Amino acid sequence: MIRYLLKRLFWMVPLLVGISLISFLIMHLAPGDITTTEAGFNPKASEESRQKLREIYHLDEPLIVQYGLWLKRMGTLDFGTSFASHQRPVFWEKKDDQGNVTPGMIQEALPITLLINVLSLVLIVVIALPLGVISAIHQNRPPDRAITVFVFVGFAVPGFWLALMLMYWLGVVNPWLPISGLHSLGHENMGMLGRLWDLGRHLAIPVFISALSGLAGISLFVRNGMLDVLHQDYITTARAKGLPENTVIYRHALRNALLPLITLLGLSIPGLIGGSVIAESLFAIPGMGKLFYDAVLMRDFPVIMGILTIGAVLTLLGNLLADLAYAWADPRVRRGVMQ
Amino acid sequence: MIDAMTGEPSGLIPMIAGESAASTIASNIFNTLLKYDKNLELEGELAKSWKISSDQKTITFTLKPGMKWADGAPLTSADVLFTWKLVTDDNTRTPYGADYKLVVKAEAPDPGTFRVTYGQPYAPAMDSWAGLQVLPEHILKGQDINTTSFARKPIGSHYYQLGEWKNGERISLVRNPNATQGQARIDRLVSRFIPDPASQFLELMADNIDTMGLSPIQYARIFPAREELNRKIALYKELGNAYTYLGFNLKHKPFDDKRVRQAINYAIDKQELIDGVLLGLGEPVASPYKPGTRWTNPNLRPYAYDTEKAKALLREAGFEDHDGDGILDRDGKPLAFEILTNQNKQREMSAVLIQRRLKEVGISVNIRVLEWASFIGRFIKTGEFDAVVLGWSLSLDPDQYGIWHSSQQAPGQFNFIGYNNPKVDRLLEQGRLELNPDKRMKIYHEFAATLLEDSPVVYLFAGYGLPAIHKRVKGIDNPAPPAGIGHNAYEWYIPAPLRRTEISAQ
Repeated sequence: MIRYLLKRLFWMVPLLVGISLISFLIMHLAPGDITTTEAGFNPKASEESRQKLREIYHLDEPLIVQYGLWLKRMGTLDFGTSFASHQRPVFWEKKDDQGNVTPGMIQEALPITLLINVLSLVLIVVIALPLGVISAIHQNRPPDRAITVFVFVGFAVPGFWLALMLMYWLGVVNPWLPISGLHSLGHENMGMLGRLWDLGRHLAIPVFISALSGLAGISLFVRNGMLDVLHQDYITTARAKGLPENTVIYRHALRNALLPLITLLGLSIPGLIGGSVIAESLFAIPGMGKLFYDAVLMRDFPVIMGILTIGAVLTLLGNLLADLAYAWADPRVRRGVMQ
Repeated sequence: MIDAMTGEPSGLIPMIAGESAASTIASNIFNTLLKYDKNLELEGELAKSWKISSDQKTITFTLKPGMKWADGAPLTSADVLFTWKLVTDDNTRTPYGADYKLVVKAEAPDPGTFRVTYGQPYAPAMDSWAGLQVLPEHILKGQDINTTSFARKPIGSHYYQLGEWKNGERISLVRNPNATQGQARIDRLVSRFIPDPASQFLELMADNIDTMGLSPIQYARIFPAREELNRKIALYKELGNAYTYLGFNLKHKPFDDKRVRQAINYAIDKQELIDGVLLGLGEPVASPYKPGTRWTNPNLRPYAYDTEKAKALLREAGFEDHDGDGILDRDGKPLAFEILTNQNKQREMSAVLIQRRLKEVGISVNIRVLEWASFIGRFIKTGEFDAVVLGWSLSLDPDQYGIWHSSQQAPGQFNFIGYNNPKVDRLLEQGRLELNPDKRMKIYHEFAATLLEDSPVVYLFAGYGLPAIHKRVKGIDNPAPPAGIGHNAYEWYIPAPLRRTEISAQ
């Protein structure tokens, strides 16, 4: 088991180098750099001073040298500092000689995005599981049809439109919920509970919107898994033994139907750190999606590379985790891994 | 008072940060030597007065006495000198050093005097001293300006100082008790970062923000239709800082021919663009200066919409429809070109309207919309374009040497349309050497007239800025003077019963 784990971890290194090299090259294929985007069209900014900036950031060196420099820094786990954002550290906070702490950009954006995505994933699973089970039990009968229509409408409705409508109805016409942002003014003066309540109210619409579009996938997955299992011989056996229908469904069928869901959830781990640009702009949430999008528009290479690298690491770890969880849940797979 | 901005500043030292969000907020924190008054004439801010030597090379600023930084330390000419050294230092990562590097000698002979000497007279200098925000030497000395944490907790001297900066969410400014220019009447300014204009508008409707810049649609369509909004929100109109133009690549045929450029100018209906793109909320311009300021030549009129004249000029230039396909041609080549523009709705719509009008006189136009960085990198820098729809600012200082002088055509410089007119070159050079505003005005009036006649670009329109402000904010000048409504923002006030409780409670 340990050997298997070590082997998998070891193989991640060349994969990561490959991924980072490809993302580095593709990113630099896009025309322009920070000096074109930052002050590129201001007549007060002269070409000489822009050339000077290019030298400071090593943007005048050949690509492969730039990649080498980046790799060298990454060797010491140094993600560097942003070109655009007043040299803020890309990943984690830094302390200067006077003890002033500058928080890292990913450090600040990641928890927000994680919180929203985890909440919405929990919401999705909590709602989609019963929906899927109900659909499977009532296959092709009205409850099944109704649920299918509902989840597909949720999947198909444009999120930004629904978000704007909800913001309008729940924020302007009936001012029950805040419209955008994460904290109210005066947030500092609230008690612990007050703050949580405030944050929850701000997150209500964004989490709902992002959960709605995810319902379809998981609930149909559960439904199909259930249907497969319900047609198995051992279910017929269980029924023939005269077990109550609930026991048949929840003890015997559901457990086996959930196995494929583990893979699906494992694979969604890397997705947890990616935010949606549209939702984050709409709700004025300073998360990962906005950070990445702005960095691409600004050609802020250290930030782009930082996010891509962390994303790649998480994707690989997510795959590994899914495999391990699968092995833990299914004895047949476990034997395969052990050998 | 709470406003909304689309972007977050990266830091609050404007010479380093560079983006407009940074300068908007920093201009409430830092002072400059000079400033523009409501009619866009220069007046002193930190400087009480200034004197220009008879050879026009030396400017001596006398500072107002007894000024202090927000932390109580005295603000003197040494701080100004220190700031000048910073902006001209080769290690400072700023793109804005060029103007200040022309100073051959800067000195602070006593705490109340700052003197700069130029190698030769340099008229835009005055404007540059209205743009350099003075930084405190006693805090920044010995620090690396590029990485200092000062950018995130600045100490300034203007009306406000930083209260709280919540990354990605908002910046709060509180009144600076030591402000050099007197006390502002509003206690707290909060800028929330809301990237999406639709969300901003919802927040405005729900009373969660007090002001935002409206789009023409919101101003001209939504507001008139909603009684309840007009009851609580006041709309203002001020001339914007930029104009949109159609620029030709003068090195490409047939744009080297003045008659073709003029014909296109006549064939475009500017009023139609203003009505269609801006819903009437803009003005035509005939020179690259703000209408109503001294640099604008009052005798100039934009080219009228006149298709007959356009057709006649094209015929004169040798273009006729020989093959009967509706497109003019000369020497077997059809009169067709491509307009490039970046992803900007107003520019895209303008290009479409231009396309239609030019088709009526027999010119075939394609439109291509590009992302900004590729647009600049691949087409503007290399000079591989026919025509562009872009914008320039209506600069407060009339010097536009960088945009129109024939020497400024290298890749990355701003005369990318390749304009070359010896008379304009001469006028631009003269204008830089003349510090007397009245003499300078004559030079630039002539410059603008030549430019209009030559038509290297077609001025399309200058849009209005459309601020909406909650009616509880009082003391706003309406109609707006040339400098816009913000020129006296420190005199605005909110009567006590109308203040937000969550703010006044603190």
